[in-house]
Amino acid sequence: MYNYLVRRLGFMLLTLLFVTVITFAVTNILPGDVALLILGPNATDQSIQALQAQLGLDKPLYVQYIDWVLGLLQGDMGTSLRFDEPVAQLIGEKLGRSLLLATAATAIAVFFALPLGVVAAVKQNELPDLFASMFGFIGISIPIFLWGLVFILVFAVWLGLFPTGGYVPPSEDPIGTLTHLVLPASAMGFALTAYIMRMTRSSMLEVLSEEYIKLARAKGMTQRVVVLKHALQNAIIPVITVVAFQFSYAFGGVVVLEEVFFWPGIGRLTLTAIQSRDIPLLQGCIIVVALIYMLSNLTADLLYGYFDPRIRYGGDD
Amino acid sequence: MATSTLSITSARKERMERFVRKFRNNTKAMIGLTIVVLLVLVAIFAPVIAPYEIDTTSVEDRSEAPSVAHPFGTDDLGRDIFSRVVMGSRISLYVGFGAISAALLVGTVIGVVSGYYGGMVDELLMRLMDAAMSFPPILLALTLMVVLGPDLNNVILALAFVYTPYIARVGRSATLSETNEAYVESAIARGESSGRIIFSEVLPNTTAPLLVQGSLNIAFAMLAEASLSFLGLGAQPPTPSWGLMIDTGRGFMQSAPWMIIFPGLAIAITVIGFNMLGDGLRDILDPKVDAIE
Repeated sequence: MYNYLVRRLGFMLLTLLFVTVITFAVTNILPGDVALLILGPNATDQSIQALQAQLGLDKPLYVQYIDWVLGLLQGDMGTSLRFDEPVAQLIGEKLGRSLLLATAATAIAVFFALPLGVVAAVKQNELPDLFASMFGFIGISIPIFLWGLVFILVFAVWLGLFPTGGYVPPSEDPIGTLTHLVLPASAMGFALTAYIMRMTRSSMLEVLSEEYIKLARAKGMTQRVVVLKHALQNAIIPVITVVAFQFSYAFGGVVVLEEVFFWPGIGRLTLTAIQSRDIPLLQGCIIVVALIYMLSNLTADLLYGYFDPRIRYGGDD
Repeated sequence: MATSTLSITSARKERMERFVRKFRNNTKAMIGLTIVVLLVLVAIFAPVIAPYEIDTTSVEDRSEAPSVAHPFGTDDLGRDIFSRVVMGSRISLYVGFGAISAALLVGTVIGVVSGYYGGMVDELLMRLMDAAMSFPPILLALTLMVVLGPDLNNVILALAFVYTPYIARVGRSATLSETNEAYVESAIARGESSGRIIFSEVLPNTTAPLLVQGSLNIAFAMLAEASLSFLGLGAQPPTPSWGLMIDTGRGFMQSAPWMIIFPGLAIAITVIGFNMLGDGLRDILDPKVDAIE
């Protein structure tokens, strides 16, 4: 396990290096001269050259890349062109909100998916199972932004239960934060429910066919005890890893979700960076989102290995 | 020689028959296939089915609720939404099939080469794939679209790039399990060239997992196209892309909800179709799933 962990982390560092290369390369092909963008069309050649020198844009590309990576390692992501503030600070302000959204979405999904999955497994091939599986297909087949709009239409516009979008900081009004959180988190949670439910169902089915469950039944234990106490406890293990994967999926989807609900997190910041061709900000957003996405996927992988002794890592430990 | 070819052909034929039988008995796969076939028919005959020109605007018919004349209503410019949804099926299918065909082509080559040769080539290719998969798919597609510029063909290019690593991974593991099989070992022992072994022995046997992955990824690619167009980075007006129609409808949610409801339903039904087909295929082709269910 230890060797495996070291190997995985080594891989991750290598992957991360590739990630920085891809991010840097892609954002540098972006059309448009940054200095010209900042100074506007009336800028003189001298002032453009001076600014290029100041931003380090006159250096060869690989030097710019190395400078950028060295900066990243020290937590320096450069300065946003649009906001004229450090990128790290801008991201720091918004990141927590996106993590809150992704966490709430995952929590809502687990809350609905576990009971649905258990019922579907216990009533396999009966009406509740078919209902759950239909629900599952609908959940994964509708894009997040559409769920968001449907939720806004029904719960905000028609029923008037929640605000249509926006954000209130918890320091000002914690209840307001919650009411603004409910719709976006539920819209994302709905999509995630499907995956977690399907995993719960198949995991429960596997466990329910095991010998010790038959034994428990033979001993006269009630269905309730067998299912909830014995089966679910063992079936939950693969589900936990799926939950970790789903969190990263939720976090990856915030770009779209935040746009629908005007939730001012890192997703909308990314879109702002794109619209204003703010390359340092865009680079920072991409790196941070990719890093969190990678870390939660890695966590899922490790949990999977930790819980499932059948998996042998690397073969040499 | 003749007899061995014959037995291989008959074995393949038998396998094919078994596949068709299992497919027929799988409700999910059959429903999925039905939806997909209907969708393809709608896309092919779209100009015949659509009652109106998709670009004809009309001031007096603006934002009309669904009626006999306009079953899905009209949009803010008075265009018939039913006609636009019908024509939009072409865009969704074009992007879905286009992106995934390209990803299948490139991804299979990478996966098979990686799995067959192993060693450093494998390490390097797989770490590159890992790096591409370290970005959330929609974020990577978005970034690529910024670079490429908003255009439907660029959506295909960007999504092909995004989904290639997923195909490559499946292709690699399928190749790995095949190269350990006796028939590949005997081909190597016969002194056949690597190229020949890959094409005639390995590739045909990786089709099943790639087919499953491909049909599931078509569903994802269609969702991604809708999302990109919704964010304004995919298809551009007046293209009748479902995602773009929903984006336009957002501003009229209260007065004309049908502007988002019908394109939304179209996306949902389409993606459900491909997901059910892919899921059904997986049940049929993957013996492990068989054992559990």
